Amino acid sequence: MAKVLVLAEHDGKNLKEISFELLGMAHKIAGGAGEVKAVLLGEDVSELASRLAERGASEVIYVEGASVRHYTGDGYRRALVPVVTEESPDLILLGHTPNGWDLAPLLAARFSAPAATGCSKIVLEIGKGRFTRKAFNGKFVHEIEIASARPMVATVEKGASIPVEGGSAGTVRPVAAAVAESDMRARHVEIKKAEAGGLDLSQASIIVSAGRGIGAAEKLDVIRALAEALGGQLGASRAVTDAGWLPHEHQIGSSGTSVSPKLYVACGISGAIQHVVGMKSSGYIVAINKDADAPIFGVADVGVVGDLFEIVPALTRAVKEAKH
Amino acid sequence: MKSLVLVKHVPDGNSVFRLNPAGTWVDETNLSFTVNDFDRYALEELLKLKDAGKVEEVVALTVGPADAAAALRTCLATGADRAIHVKDEALAGSDPFVVARAIHAAIASEGFTLILGGLQADDDNHTQVGGLVAGLLDWPFASAAVGLSLLSASTLRVDRELENNEVQVVDLTLPAVVTVQTGMNTPRYASLKGIMAAKKKPVATLSLSDLGLNPADVGAKLRTVSLAPPPKGKGAEILTGSPDEVAKALVGRIREKTGVL
Repeated sequence: MAKVLVLAEHDGKNLKEISFELLGMAHKIAGGAGEVKAVLLGEDVSELASRLAERGASEVIYVEGASVRHYTGDGYRRALVPVVTEESPDLILLGHTPNGWDLAPLLAARFSAPAATGCSKIVLEIGKGRFTRKAFNGKFVHEIEIASARPMVATVEKGASIPVEGGSAGTVRPVAAAVAESDMRARHVEIKKAEAGGLDLSQASIIVSAGRGIGAAEKLDVIRALAEALGGQLGASRAVTDAGWLPHEHQIGSSGTSVSPKLYVACGISGAIQHVVGMKSSGYIVAINKDADAPIFGVADVGVVGDLFEIVPALTRAVKEAKH
Repeated sequence: MKSLVLVKHVPDGNSVFRLNPAGTWVDETNLSFTVNDFDRYALEELLKLKDAGKVEEVVALTVGPADAAAALRTCLATGADRAIHVKDEALAGSDPFVVARAIHAAIASEGFTLILGGLQADDDNHTQVGGLVAGLLDWPFASAAVGLSLLSASTLRVDRELENNEVQVVDLTLPAVVTVQTGMNTPRYASLKGIMAAKKKPVATLSLSDLGLNPADVGAKLRTVSLAPPPKGKGAEILTGSPDEVAKALVGRIREKTGVL
């Protein structure tokens, strides 16, 4: 008879998709006899709370106040403590998102709660919970067990669960955030766009991306030549933009741009989860990597295991010939 | 202002990993270890603040076995002033909460104003220790920093990386804990002079009893059942042959499946 409390995410106007995915996951965990509630924080969010109540929560508790107008770890944690204490859930579910992974350990510390992050599957059994997650940047599936504690905290990978459709509408209940804005030790200033030079990969129909495997900035020319031959854009994994080999605007993945071109060619990209979530909806995925065990081959349609400095130039030549 | 960087000694991410016989972790016997990539950026950020005269002392701390001292030596050679190594056999198989409790106990009398760490460790990817330390200290916290500046002696401005190329700017009242993203700066390397100087820098080694903790207090709540390669899923069709042969086959597939050629 598990009770699961879901932390919904929103941008002030709309609920984020992860909120619905978390409710879907919560129902799977709680089972038919369990209870699924959601909590939503913000200012003037009663309308969002009502919408959320139609998506699988028996009750939506919405916490309102100036201290939670925008997300801060300090404001959210302090506003949530009374709610968690009162509700006493078995499990608090958050998204494995920038705000979710920020808040989860703060709640865990406050409640001495064991926490599992980046989960794709969670099963609560008598006396223990089993959490399936990834380790080594997606190279391995990591299965962990936690002896039951109340609460436990978990963050859930995006796309790990499907939202609940239909179902009866739940109730909504307002709660005032018990923190004065003047007491806040974290103050939201603004949300801004990361530096950009006008490149918009989100609309590209062909993308050729370079990863850590290219090894140096000057070797990008090999990848660029293929992109040009195909008439596509040049993308990159985080390793390439972190190293300064390409500007941030080329980065594809959760913190960069999400893309869904007709054709995606991944060159020397291992396929860390943060990259894969940003490109897995591409129409057709080609992967070239020297490591046969690289996770990228799990999402690609066709792959070549080998030296990209031999294969990519050969592919560039073949593409040029095909276009003649 | 005294500052602390939390570091972890992890297997090099470019290694070819094999599982241990029990299938509970990677076989670490032949792996080379290094300072966790995220943590290098955290250290660099503090060294920059020190260069600018805004931080007086940079201390590096790790919780880990004897070998983890190598990570601290790297930090000292790169520019940290001293190091703290929390080491105890009872910490083998520990989890993020245990590590955070040990850190919390180890710094109780230090008087740090700013604690930085990496967003996550490259091995277990838990993404928890920084936030747990902040929570145990009841200090404000921000994760995934891509920019950081001291606005005054009491306020730290942090650019937090969000999704879809967005950044949240947030001001934290010090003392505070911040975890950093990779790419936020260009970490310096240890110079030969730095490596020599590091030999004279102090490393304090602390056991659980030094921290006033009992092994019973630090029982891990997270137990690894298994580590395994991910299911192959649909998996890619793997083409084989000479570069020209696979290139020709790829062009055929691309033409057939996407119509872009």
